[in-house]
Amino acid sequence: MAQSRGPEEDYVAPIRRLLVGGLILVLIAIFLLWRIDSPRAERFRAALVDTVVPQMDWALVPVARAVDLARGFQSYARLAEQNAELRRELRQMQAWREAALQLEQQNAKLLDLNKVRLDPALTKVTGVVLADSGSPFRQSVLLNVGAGRDGIQDGWAVTDGLGLVGRISGVGQSSSRVLLLTDTASRIPVTVQPSGQRAMLAGDNSPLPVLDFIEAPEQVRPGDRVVSSGDGGVFPAGLLVGQVVLANDGRLRLRLSADYERLEFVRVLRSAPADPIDVPQDLIGPRLPAEPLLVQSESEPSDG
Amino acid sequence: MDDLTLGQRWAFRALFFLLIACIAFAQLLPLDPGPGRLPGPDVMLLLTLAWLLRRPEAVPVTMIALLFLMADFLFMRPPGLWAVIVVIMTEMIRSRASGFRDMSFVVEWLMIAAFITVGTLAHVILQAVFFVDQPALGQTLIRLLATVLCYPLVVAFGARSFGLRKPVSGEFNPLGVRS
Repeated sequence: MAQSRGPEEDYVAPIRRLLVGGLILVLIAIFLLWRIDSPRAERFRAALVDTVVPQMDWALVPVARAVDLARGFQSYARLAEQNAELRRELRQMQAWREAALQLEQQNAKLLDLNKVRLDPALTKVTGVVLADSGSPFRQSVLLNVGAGRDGIQDGWAVTDGLGLVGRISGVGQSSSRVLLLTDTASRIPVTVQPSGQRAMLAGDNSPLPVLDFIEAPEQVRPGDRVVSSGDGGVFPAGLLVGQVVLANDGRLRLRLSADYERLEFVRVLRSAPADPIDVPQDLIGPRLPAEPLLVQSESEPSDG
Repeated sequence: MDDLTLGQRWAFRALFFLLIACIAFAQLLPLDPGPGRLPGPDVMLLLTLAWLLRRPEAVPVTMIALLFLMADFLFMRPPGLWAVIVVIMTEMIRSRASGFRDMSFVVEWLMIAAFITVGTLAHVILQAVFFVDQPALGQTLIRLLATVLCYPLVVAFGARSFGLRKPVSGEFNPLGVRS
């Protein structure tokens, strides 16, 4: 390319080489900065995504819906068949609905008898899925709710009404990223329901994340329900995650309740961290009187 | 090869930028969030390489660096790493462009496959060296295979849609300049 150039090209080549070298150095510096100060770089990434992706909002959502619509047309062929199937399912669902209503009333009564206070801090924000992660190796979606107006914070749980979807990881002014449970970086503490076994749910980029660190695997059976355990204060406890399945590779995995194929609207659960209890005497009962009184009251039994 | 007028050159650059933007847009579409699909080809890289061999002046190195850095940020990759690998890869190919010119397509395909393989392996190894969380090696290899297999498609797309083809050495362009 550069061999048969005129004389004026001769000083272009070194300058160009300098430019290329500079570019390479800058890129390496960016990578090293990210590696050294990851949180700051990730904040910068969130801010960058926040400025770029919502700009494409007007096109992203309609195009995605249009493709969904086209896919819907393809299933028109078996419409009658689907209709019959749906009616059958609806009849079953009505029976379930009746059962659910009765249980709800019963539950309300029992809660009232128990004087249980539900956590008032647990409210939710509903968001629309704006964009995919764009890479087959990263399982995350971008929501159109962010720190600015909705006060989204890192670590909050995200559900789609059926089950847990993931948690917030990276917040911008008007967008936030949800790390799906299937991402390789996702680890959440869970409880396997009937046996009460604690486990970690670890994503591995496959549709069925792995149940790791089960205390007694022989007590866990395929079909068991799995809910979030709330350990470590990351998540509110008791959110449905999925059902245990025994995979072909012989490991216990989880079929997620959340419908990852159709993530359109998701709920972000606002959760305030619980007040840390670090002083032992604050655990039970009212605060004890001041120090001198305490000494006196302690010495009384030894006198008597 | 500098046979384009200034306007044509910038038109090609704008076209390239637009195509890359379209690819990024398509990848960001939330059609099938969640796992389960086999990783597809890295179309962005293929497009860059195919254009580099056919219209090198349409893909200046600064643009490659900026676009791939942006892609690193948007697609949750370690920022800068893939961009620097692509810049080094394209510069090596650019300096061997005269050699590529007389190759048959099959040989060109093999050379490109070798470049992509080495680049991908470098990416994997560097990520391992810097203790970056990375996907399973099997999936990376599937993506590499898909990328290599799709190269003729991208080249054919460029040739059909925009009349992109390799300048043959000794060829005269419409302005009568020997390339």
